[in-house]
Amino acid sequence: MLSLEIITPEKTVVKDEVDVVEATGAEGEFGIMPGHTQFLTTLKIGEIRYRKGNETVYLSSSGGFAEVVDDKVTLLVDTAERSKEIDVDRAKRAMERAEAELKSLSYDQNEYRMMEMALLRAVARIGVASKKI
Amino acid sequence: MVSASKLRRAQTDLEKIRDYAVKMGELTGRVVMNMPEDAHPLLATREEIKKVLIVSIGSDRGLCGGFNTNVALAAENFARMNHPNYERIAIYIFGRKIRDYLGKRKMDIVKDWTDVKKVDQDLVDTVAAEIIELYLSGEFDKVYLSYTSFVSAVKQRVIFDEFIPIKTPEESEYIDYISEPARTEIVGTLIPRYISTKIYYSLIESQTSEHAARMSAMENATSNCGEMVRYLTLVYNKRRQEGITNEMMDIVGGAEALRGK
Repeated sequence: MLSLEIITPEKTVVKDEVDVVEATGAEGEFGIMPGHTQFLTTLKIGEIRYRKGNETVYLSSSGGFAEVVDDKVTLLVDTAERSKEIDVDRAKRAMERAEAELKSLSYDQNEYRMMEMALLRAVARIGVASKKI
Repeated sequence: MVSASKLRRAQTDLEKIRDYAVKMGELTGRVVMNMPEDAHPLLATREEIKKVLIVSIGSDRGLCGGFNTNVALAAENFARMNHPNYERIAIYIFGRKIRDYLGKRKMDIVKDWTDVKKVDQDLVDTVAAEIIELYLSGEFDKVYLSYTSFVSAVKQRVIFDEFIPIKTPEESEYIDYISEPARTEIVGTLIPRYISTKIYYSLIESQTSEHAARMSAMENATSNCGEMVRYLTLVYNKRRQEGITNEMMDIVGGAEALRGK
């Protein structure tokens, strides 16, 4: 078993014993199972999954850091929301707004990058919310 | 009473962020361990340290015992003791009380934040960016962080620590990670994040301590007041009794004199 902790500045979202953890790192998706080597990565905006028994939980996160040491998985992320907590309408509105803004901005503006991040977050939320369990 | 309920709220805020801040500190400690100093400019100790910045966190409002004075004193004493060693010792302030205190003593104040209503990520990001900029631009060679750490409702401790460049805590153990991307690159994102988390946490902790300090200060004030009321009542009663006795003696004396005729 892995002991998983998903921590945001707001609260500790998950603290549990789980079987598998999967998330999107800087260089692509990775999966952690018991016995994994010591591992450190940055997390991208996207989905975090973990499986406990037959149950899989999906979370959407807006990036952070992941550390694996001796079957302890610690994810320090800026935000993490369980699929059932996500407000899909709000995410959709955020997505539309970001798309509209992106069209009006030029590529080299600072806001472009921010809007792009906002769009990615919204897309991640919608993606995860569709996996409601 | 007011402070007690504010303290309770502040304590929940503090607990929310505590896990994150503590883990972030531990992780940063492990990651920067054995890292060559040139891996990141915020890690490297400069050869010559001439200009020092102290970030002092206090509050806008008084009536909270020694809360503000202690933080201000920490900065003042440091400046006085190390005055000959450095070219410049400047202070970056949170809270009107500390500004007033150090301003009166003609200390070098770089910036002061007053009337901060709510500590949030935006504020912290601005502050963190400013401090990092002050360091990287060579304006300062070393940054200290001073705030009041919340131990319990009755105990708070003034912290005065080296902040930037970042030091590896001694108890960290070295772990040979497989890291994606390379460790030196992760450090680039981790360190700014660590700095802003640390500032965030210090601000929240300081706020919590403020309420706790005010609560005990007010409690002391109330009990001192009660004691004084008891003492003054005693004095008043004695005086009153004295007055009555004197008057009675007058009357009795007068009557005696009349009868004696």
